Amino acid sequence: MNALEIQNLTKNFGQFTAVDHVSLTVGRGEIYGFLGPNGAGKTTTIKMIAGLLKPDSGEILINGFSLAENPRICKQETGYIPDRPWLYEKLTGIEFLQFIASLYNLDKARFSDSTEYFLNLFDLSEWKNHLIESYSHGMRQKLIMTSVLMQEQPLLVIDEPMVGLDPKSARLVKEIFKQRAKDGTAIFLSTHSLEIAEELCHRIAIITEGKLRISGDMETLRHEAGKKSSDLEDIFLQLTGAWEMQEVISALRDR
Amino acid sequence: MTRLFRPFLCGLRNRFFPEGKISSRTLIITGFGVVLFTALYLVSLKTIGYFHSQNELGVILALKIFQMAWVIVFTMLIFSSTVTGVSALFLSHDNEIIFAAPTSLEEIFGIRYLTTSFYTSWMMVVFSLPVFGAYGHVFQAGPGYFLIMIPIVVCIAAIANALGLMVTIILVNLFPAKRTKDIVVYLSLLFGILLYLVIRLLRPEELADPERFPDFIEYLSSLSTPATPYFPPSWASTLLTGYLQDHSIDWLLIGLLVTTPFVFYYAGEWIMTRGFFAGYTKAQESFGGYHKFREHDYSPSSLRWLFLKELKMFIRDSSQWSQLFLIGALVVVYLYNFKVLPLEQTLIPAEAVANIIAYANIGLTGFIIASLCTRFVFPSIGNEGSGFGLMLTSPLSIKRYICYKYLFYVVPFTLLTVILLGASNHLLQIRGPMWWVSLITGLIITWSVVAMAIGFGAIYADFKAENQAAVLGSFGAILYLFTALSYELITIIAGSIPAYRLVRSWRWDMHFSATVFIQTAGVFAAILLVSALISLLSLKKGMENVEKNYH
Repeated sequence: MNALEIQNLTKNFGQFTAVDHVSLTVGRGEIYGFLGPNGAGKTTTIKMIAGLLKPDSGEILINGFSLAENPRICKQETGYIPDRPWLYEKLTGIEFLQFIASLYNLDKARFSDSTEYFLNLFDLSEWKNHLIESYSHGMRQKLIMTSVLMQEQPLLVIDEPMVGLDPKSARLVKEIFKQRAKDGTAIFLSTHSLEIAEELCHRIAIITEGKLRISGDMETLRHEAGKKSSDLEDIFLQLTGAWEMQEVISALRDR
Repeated sequence: MTRLFRPFLCGLRNRFFPEGKISSRTLIITGFGVVLFTALYLVSLKTIGYFHSQNELGVILALKIFQMAWVIVFTMLIFSSTVTGVSALFLSHDNEIIFAAPTSLEEIFGIRYLTTSFYTSWMMVVFSLPVFGAYGHVFQAGPGYFLIMIPIVVCIAAIANALGLMVTIILVNLFPAKRTKDIVVYLSLLFGILLYLVIRLLRPEELADPERFPDFIEYLSSLSTPATPYFPPSWASTLLTGYLQDHSIDWLLIGLLVTTPFVFYYAGEWIMTRGFFAGYTKAQESFGGYHKFREHDYSPSSLRWLFLKELKMFIRDSSQWSQLFLIGALVVVYLYNFKVLPLEQTLIPAEAVANIIAYANIGLTGFIIASLCTRFVFPSIGNEGSGFGLMLTSPLSIKRYICYKYLFYVVPFTLLTVILLGASNHLLQIRGPMWWVSLITGLIITWSVVAMAIGFGAIYADFKAENQAAVLGSFGAILYLFTALSYELITIIAGSIPAYRLVRSWRWDMHFSATVFIQTAGVFAAILLVSALISLLSLKKGMENVEKNYH
């Protein structure tokens, strides 16, 4: 059974179709990259998977459960890391983690082991009893990651994971994702960083104008783009129709 | 300054005239406003007309109330603009864009002054007009009165707001950096005391005390000259009193009222150019950033943690709890007035008057509760900000979340209602059924009004509000307040006849007849049922709509 299965997912905002009949699957232990230009429908898709937006049509299945019919079970099994950290400024780091843990009914022993581990890993232990309003952007991002990683859910949905992270933390996060995938966690990852996608993802999907343009491993993508030895950036530009950008870039360089 | 004013104007236009058309929201709010405006005008007309129709002393009483109203309006405006000024000037989300851009401090002061004045004053200005307008009608002052009165209300609001912002900038600069936000605590305390003193010094209870009448005649003679020559509301009330009595106009006072807003505005601008940057720098430092807080033990209970989260966020945000000082001061003034009411000096028996006041007091308490709900409960869901996404992605259902929110707020509001009604009933020396009528009706109103605040707060939640003032002046907040007050008014009117019969039956027969009992029980059961339905409907609509606002 797939950890995540999306069938014909569609979302309209008035006359505008943000996500148009998108279907995909993410297996256990798989890191699935979700790429696309700005406004392609990535965040809308992610928000629907996380239960933040109601689809107009289509279905989302998480570990075989329909998100529409069993939202509590699905949300319990999904960890969502947004691109901008959602936090309560007036709580301390540890209070925030306790609050999140209580929403997911995390047991006491696991809470204390996991939080200690991740707070140490992300160098946040010293700051755990300080108000979040005094945290830097990177610290906030690491705190929200801790709040998700501590729960060890079978599906992780991640929107732009490296925003605001220093190189050390970014390296750590990548290793954690790889390790989690090895342990059977499915990771659905949206990113603009093609290097991260190429390094981490087993399969990659590219979405443009709300439609899934292509989905597969690097070989499939190369084949589709007709560029056998290209890197992901070339393939991405080719498949998203942004190849003409090369001319603009050359023109800019010549100025 | 026009360029900085544009986002505010566009926001207003998009809110009230989306796509260039008048929205149903705008129509509803205008309708509510017109009804309330008319009701206020008619009530004022009746009250002032009653005083005016009495002998000369009645006229004095009416004019004394007139003076009090100006003082109260002015004081409240200074208070609210000072409190709002802290968040509008120093903590607005758009400060980073505006202040980083090549804009002058004069421009920033101008835009903050205009928007703060709008948010803090429009309701006070709009609803003081029918009261002051009724004076013109009763005293047959003619159209000239309105031509003077309306600009004066605007001038008084302009003075109060400029003064409020000036005080804010100075105080924010005086206090240590980490406590910038705590400034509001001191301001609230200061104005709480000021308001208390103003009201106490005016001694409203003496208005009904015949033994004080000789003093009032002396007072009448002093009405022609400003009692406190440096106090702008005195200029306004003295000028208009003169016009109301014999159409005389004091041009000096008009000159003072017209020029003072400009003087204060430019003084504020001057202070802004010298003190804003330092204050803004301080405001960006975290209040508790370097303070270590004590760690609690974890237990997996979402109810406990949601309560703890709400409580900690409230306690640690001084702009929230500091206003409790003001509420405290108001409660003391409120209860003290019951203590000093001269019940024995009225023509009807003191016990009957006490019962009437006790019943009317349900409405007053309800008004306080609704106002506090607008301030604290209505914005509580929108205040979650982007954190609300955490709720939506968690297994906690929206239904539970809304119920927890309701439970969190209903407890302190129940306590406040019991304290206000219990203490005032005690001071009024109420005996018999009115005690229970007052308490039960008051509690039903409170529980419903809190549910409505949660429901409306969810329906109109603004998770991206620029500042607290914008939330409190929003369509949803106004609609909530109007709806809650209308509900209270209808409830009190519906219950008045059975309550009267119940008290009369108890007073004369000392036992309830079956008919009275059935009628009373029937009406109060109907009130309970309708209130429960309104509460449930508000909460249900809130649950259904809250997700839509988040995106």
